[in-house]
Amino acid sequence: MKETAGADLIVTDLTVEYTAGDYVVRPLDKFNLHAPDGSLVILLGPSGCGKTTLLSALAGILTPTSGTITHAGRTISGLTGKALTEHRRHGVGVVFQAFNLVPSLDATENVMAPMLAAGISSRDARARAVQLLDQVGLAERAHHHPGDMSGGQQQRVAIARALGLDPPLILADEPTAHLDYIQVETVLRIVRGLAHPGRVVVVATHDDRMIPLADQVVELVPRFVSEALAPQQQELDAGDVVFEQGDRGDRIYIIDKGSIEVVRNRGDGTEERLAVLAAGDYFGEMGPLFGLPRSATTRATEPSTITGYSVKDFRDKLGIERLGDIVSVAKQRV
Amino acid sequence: MMWQATLRDLQWRRRRFLIAITGTALVFAMSLLLSGLASSFTLETNRTLHAIGADVWIVKQGASGPFTAFSPVPDTDATRVAATPGVTEAQPIIYLHQTVGEKPKDINLFGVVPGSLGEPTVAHGRRLQSSGEALADTTLGVGIGEQVEMAGRSYDVVGTTKHTTLNGGIPTMFISLKDAQTLLAGNAVASAIVATGTPTAPIDGLRVMTVDEARDDLLRPLQNAAQSINFVKVLLWIVAACIIGSIVYLSAMERTRDFAVFKATGTSNSALGFGLAIQAVVLAVAAAVIASVLATLLAPIFPLPVEIPTSAYLTLFAIAIVVGLLASLAGLRRAVKIEPALAFGGP
Repeated sequence: MKETAGADLIVTDLTVEYTAGDYVVRPLDKFNLHAPDGSLVILLGPSGCGKTTLLSALAGILTPTSGTITHAGRTISGLTGKALTEHRRHGVGVVFQAFNLVPSLDATENVMAPMLAAGISSRDARARAVQLLDQVGLAERAHHHPGDMSGGQQQRVAIARALGLDPPLILADEPTAHLDYIQVETVLRIVRGLAHPGRVVVVATHDDRMIPLADQVVELVPRFVSEALAPQQQELDAGDVVFEQGDRGDRIYIIDKGSIEVVRNRGDGTEERLAVLAAGDYFGEMGPLFGLPRSATTRATEPSTITGYSVKDFRDKLGIERLGDIVSVAKQRV
Repeated sequence: MMWQATLRDLQWRRRRFLIAITGTALVFAMSLLLSGLASSFTLETNRTLHAIGADVWIVKQGASGPFTAFSPVPDTDATRVAATPGVTEAQPIIYLHQTVGEKPKDINLFGVVPGSLGEPTVAHGRRLQSSGEALADTTLGVGIGEQVEMAGRSYDVVGTTKHTTLNGGIPTMFISLKDAQTLLAGNAVASAIVATGTPTAPIDGLRVMTVDEARDDLLRPLQNAAQSINFVKVLLWIVAACIIGSIVYLSAMERTRDFAVFKATGTSNSALGFGLAIQAVVLAVAAAVIASVLATLLAPIFPLPVEIPTSAYLTLFAIAIVVGLLASLAGLRRAVKIEPALAFGGP
């Protein structure tokens, strides 16, 4: 792989925060990434972990709350107006999840669309589209509509569309999500071939099969080795925070003494108290169990003592039946 | 780019668009027929007045006109008018609303001096020569040699005239002045004096009206009808805009993901708006084309006279473009609001 610092993709302290309903969600919190020129980066993680949010920010579709994105020495995160449109047209090509081809356009026209939007003549765009479809092995399907093609073929058209203007950054969102294993093989080969000097490819997926292809794998949800954690007791004063909403953590807490309040930060900056838990109650089990960020903030309302357990220890302590109860009331838990 | 996407979408959703075009075409055709109806009021009046051949209509001082109010003048005033400088010929004329036949049929009755100014050129037959004769407009449905019963007396139809209707297709009949005066208890009066030339001196006790003024007098009772027709036309255009607007909006809703993809790949809002506008205008203009054909076919079988002027067709196409552009606003608002981030969504 050619190391050209100037064409690297560098993401620094990227935070994206938005209001969903009446509470604040922070799918990315001070995220960092350095993808060298020519590399294929795979963003791995479960649904809701921020993969698509990161791709949206890289595509210039979503403005981050803070942090910077730089590609080939150009700051993407601050672009607006024409510069942003220019980035969307020439700076990046996106392979969307579920292909997102326009059903009324045939394969060639779908590939032509971004080129025509960029002002390329119809003749040149058509010639390029034909060449790209040939490149992804779909020359004979050039005049088929998406509805007449298999998922794999549609995905290859989507890849050809992303390559239309030969962008230096290719983003692919779950490119294997709707494909059978035979189709996956073809798509994987093409995706791997996209990464070459002068271009960075970022693929968001939860498909482990793609890992061997990657030059760099970024796990957006850290894998906690819960089994290795010993129980940890904490003494808290009134007002001490156990964890903040949006944090990630690997411990589940049981209150030994005192009381803990559970509050959710609302979009308008206020807090909504969800519950006040007393000695014997437990909290913070949803994040570690399901690999999710904490969905609320917890803090002591009086001097309290809590003990943090790993998922395994907690499960052993609680019993598998009670764990089922947790899942059944998951909406009320943090 | 949006040209291609727009045209392809029109093909893709052609059944729905055809339904919209058909509905809009019917609405447009109705508006064209109404235009033809309103226009026929003026056109038939112009033709009938032209057939009478007067340059000026002279009525009693203070009368609103020769048609809407009966303010008789002595028929001998014609001699006075004829002697006025600038006048080349002057004849008395009577205008009355009458009915003919056993099953009453409305007519516009003119009493004219046979062989003189006021008597129209006949299409078939001959002109009036004596009492008891009549010229009838072809729409009355009475042929030469047939008789017409009017006010208890029979008239022999000796000639027919064409395109001499008034008041929304009501046929006109011409009889001699003397016969018309018998309907007025034999008084030697006239509704007006028609003249050729233009009087250059005032005529005592009389008012000179131009043909345009006479026409306005004749059309005044139809003014409300004409205004109502114009009002309904505007309503029909609004209905057309609603039909196209709802279809374009529906289309925009269904294309939410497509628009998000277009935006995410660098297509501007204005380009999307252009595409929607083109789509709506194509629908509206296609509807206007069909409406033009439809209205032209329907006009002859319409119960009232319908004469669609060329200007109405041209206006319809201009209206179609405006309707299309207005209709596209609904979809445009929708398209502008679509977040490109939607393109990243799943199926």
